[in-house]
Amino acid sequence: MGNKQTTFTDEQLEAFQDCTFFTRKEILRLHARFRELAPHLVPLDFTNNPDVRVPPTLVVTMPELKENPFRDRIVATFSEDGLGNLSFNDFVDMFSALCELSPRELKTIYAFKIYDFNRDDFICEDDLQQTLNKLTKGELTAEEVTLVCQKVIEEADLDGDRKLSFSDFQNMISKAPDFLSNFHIRI
Amino acid sequence: METMTECAQPIGFHFLFLRLSIKVNVELCTETRPSVTTANRNAVLAFQSSKKSRHFTYFADFSENVSLFSRRCGYVGKSARRTLQLWQGTMKEIGGKFGSSVLTYFLFLKWLLIFNIFSFLVNFGFITIPQLVYEPSPNIPLNVHFRGLEIITGAGYFNNTVMYYGGYSNETLVGLVDYNMQLAYFFTITVYMVLCGIALIFSMAKSFKKNYVLADSATSSAWQLLCSWDFSVTNERAVRKRKSNLRIQLKESLSEKAQQELLTLPEQLKHFGVHVGSWLLSTSLAVGCGASIYFLCEYEQKHTADTGSWSLLQEAETLLVPFVVSLINLVVPFFYSFFNEFEHYTNQRNQIYALVIRNVFLKMVILGVLCYYWMNVVAEVFSCWESMVGQALYRLVIVDFLFLMLGCFFGEFLRSVIGTRLISRLGVPEFDVGRNVLEIIYAQTLGWIGIYFSPLLPAIQILKFFILFYLKKVSLIQNCQPPRRSGRAAQMKTIFIFLLWFPFFVGALSMVAYTAWRLPPSEQCGPFRGLNTTFGVIEVWMDDLVDIPGSHWVIWIYQKVIRSEVFYFLITMIILVVIYIFWQVTQGRKRLIGLLRQQIVNEGKDKSFLLEKLQNLQKSRKPTSKPNKQKGHSKERPGEPPTGSHSNAMVQALLARQQLQDEMDQSVPSDTSNSGALMQAMLARQRALSQNGDVYHRPEERVSSFQTAQTTRNQENQESDGHYRMVSPTNAVTLAMQARQRAEGTREDDTDYLPSSVSSVMRQVMQARQRAEEELNSPSQNTAPSGSSALIQAMWARQQAQNEYDDGY
Repeated sequence: MGNKQTTFTDEQLEAFQDCTFFTRKEILRLHARFRELAPHLVPLDFTNNPDVRVPPTLVVTMPELKENPFRDRIVATFSEDGLGNLSFNDFVDMFSALCELSPRELKTIYAFKIYDFNRDDFICEDDLQQTLNKLTKGELTAEEVTLVCQKVIEEADLDGDRKLSFSDFQNMISKAPDFLSNFHIRI
Repeated sequence: METMTECAQPIGFHFLFLRLSIKVNVELCTETRPSVTTANRNAVLAFQSSKKSRHFTYFADFSENVSLFSRRCGYVGKSARRTLQLWQGTMKEIGGKFGSSVLTYFLFLKWLLIFNIFSFLVNFGFITIPQLVYEPSPNIPLNVHFRGLEIITGAGYFNNTVMYYGGYSNETLVGLVDYNMQLAYFFTITVYMVLCGIALIFSMAKSFKKNYVLADSATSSAWQLLCSWDFSVTNERAVRKRKSNLRIQLKESLSEKAQQELLTLPEQLKHFGVHVGSWLLSTSLAVGCGASIYFLCEYEQKHTADTGSWSLLQEAETLLVPFVVSLINLVVPFFYSFFNEFEHYTNQRNQIYALVIRNVFLKMVILGVLCYYWMNVVAEVFSCWESMVGQALYRLVIVDFLFLMLGCFFGEFLRSVIGTRLISRLGVPEFDVGRNVLEIIYAQTLGWIGIYFSPLLPAIQILKFFILFYLKKVSLIQNCQPPRRSGRAAQMKTIFIFLLWFPFFVGALSMVAYTAWRLPPSEQCGPFRGLNTTFGVIEVWMDDLVDIPGSHWVIWIYQKVIRSEVFYFLITMIILVVIYIFWQVTQGRKRLIGLLRQQIVNEGKDKSFLLEKLQNLQKSRKPTSKPNKQKGHSKERPGEPPTGSHSNAMVQALLARQQLQDEMDQSVPSDTSNSGALMQAMLARQRALSQNGDVYHRPEERVSSFQTAQTTRNQENQESDGHYRMVSPTNAVTLAMQARQRAEGTREDDTDYLPSSVSSVMRQVMQARQRAEEELNSPSQNTAPSGSSALIQAMWARQQAQNEYDDGY
């Protein structure tokens, strides 16, 4: 089954299998999905490593991402330029990091990056407010939003700098065993 | 794509390091500049250049090829396993619409189905096929014909077939090989139960390990906000529902905080009284149901005869007990959930646990009564009693299945019709995961009990679970809405597996074990006829083995190990001692965690204190110098350090430290710059990360391989084994930072990792801070002279630390 495909060389497929959590078949399927996003842009033949990037506006139309409130942040986090233009590498990386087999540490790192809207390596109150707005679609009053964010910082901030550093975030995640099963996109 | 091709070039065991290092690099990279793939590329190139200098011996070549080959085989195996997975698309659809907690039910169902498939294959292969080969047509008495009722009652025509225990012979079947039917039956059942038990224990342990925090304070808004969003939900309506649920939950938790009042004593007593009352009521209800089933069984037994042939009416009468049992199982849980109306628990979770415990107790009482009846009454009265028990279990399974279907129809379909058309206030029903899971656990327990008495019962179970899956899926999609409370899927899964193991599996196992140990097998039928107990088959076998030369070790094991009490006593003592040791270690680590957490808080306070002091000092000394940003984590470098006096030198030192600290904190998890200091910090952090995940195991392969890669790169640092030592003096201060990081990350008991000098430095700084706070005693801390003494002390303490480390290397 895999020997007849011409999309990737065998070495490329091996490399993908080594660097991600997917099998051959899944990688080929991912390529088909990637191609679906922009058939005119993405070539069928990847053997000579074309440098093709799909813009974020097309990526977020995928059914797995379409309804996710964090879709823009997810795509931006995994893209090389930070704006959301995904190459196939980035695409596979994204779904590999979010798949079932991906370990907790990897997911924690990426969750932290996704929630860090201003990319300063800290989840400050502003980031939390933006997260909350995305999750509740702005239906809480401004006062409630502030209150919730303050509570979150009170609970999770360990070293007292009014921001969540990565270790604070990690500590909080370790108390939430559901995180692994929640932070998971099936493809 | 260049990364991928570069990835492909080095081969063999380096490949493994590469893959692990690339994965690690992916983890460590936070900035998008340099990007992940560039970082990967750098790591790969660096690794390649470091490895090129090595010679490839023939042995290294060979080992590379072997590992490459084995890894390729692993990939093939992995993809083969993935294709065999059942119902992937359905699971994705359900998870997408209803979320992870509902998905746990279906995953659980699939898992139990696999148990049954395995058991069916084993039983069919080892017991039934030899019997069928030996005796293709069962010896049914002449006046019994196949009537349609057998499908439900299992009696009549099925009675003497291989369906039940009674259909198996007790001889050694002579054919191609001599097949000892007795031993085969005994060992097949034993091995299957033992394997089941081991599988359950392992998955329970794995689940506990992953979700080790069972009781947490996770109704907090931090958890709700950041961890509870289910990323796998893809359906628009479901997403909207979840958003509104989250909003409601957040509002609730906000208002809970506002209204937490302590109850007065009379109210507490009242609540306590209500609790006691409802528990008494539910227990007595369960016991009453059990007693009524017992009396019903006795009544039925008086009306049945021990002959092989029953009239149609008699057969239909046998359905009475299963009918009543299933009715009780369907109706009484509704009573229990009705108790929730007037019983108030402080915690939502306690309410759910109470409900689960009551339901479990009810089911255990029913099963217990039935088992007691079978073992004490049926075993005495009937001649081929194992087949009777097998039939009873068959009936229970079938009627239970019918009632599940009915329950599905009434509970979900009609309820949703009522909810949408008639009383629209009620709304569409929620899918009650707990109740459904308990139902399938009960069904599986029946299968486990029945496996001794009716070896082909797993076939019925397979059909039952298969049909149930599709039925529930259709009902779910058409009729239900996702649960309102964002369910703790991981914890629920742990609890379900635990429930499955204890009391259900343990109960089934003990019942079968008691039957095999104590009860005399029936004289006229079955593979164990003629023996005193089922276990006697081993003795017979041992006697036979005496004649066979070369098998004395088996007899020795049997007599000295299995039959001797001293062996079990010793094993129990050893296990108890080991458990005690582990328990003490756990207690010690809990205390350590508390201490370390306190240390983190203190460090944060120290840092902010020192930097405030620094700001004040700077302001008082040089009003024209650029002010620092507050709280220390600024991105801009501080301005030119002031030159001149003694305290300015310290200010300089502190500023330099602050610079480095900014760099360190920015790059944690750091980007792949080439400085050795940062690499070591990364190492430390990575080790901390890996140790967080794996406390009891040695650090994972990827960490050591990454460290190996890094240490070979940083030749100039003269590292041999020390992962935490710095050489350059400017990095001496980062050592203090690292010690803090280590304190955050390390959860082992090796407190000697924290050098005593560092902790004394911390103590001094803390003391200085406390003294300063006492001295100042005012909100505005602008008094530079009195404060600076404490500050200078703190600075001296840090300088001391620097000198010490410089001296040490």
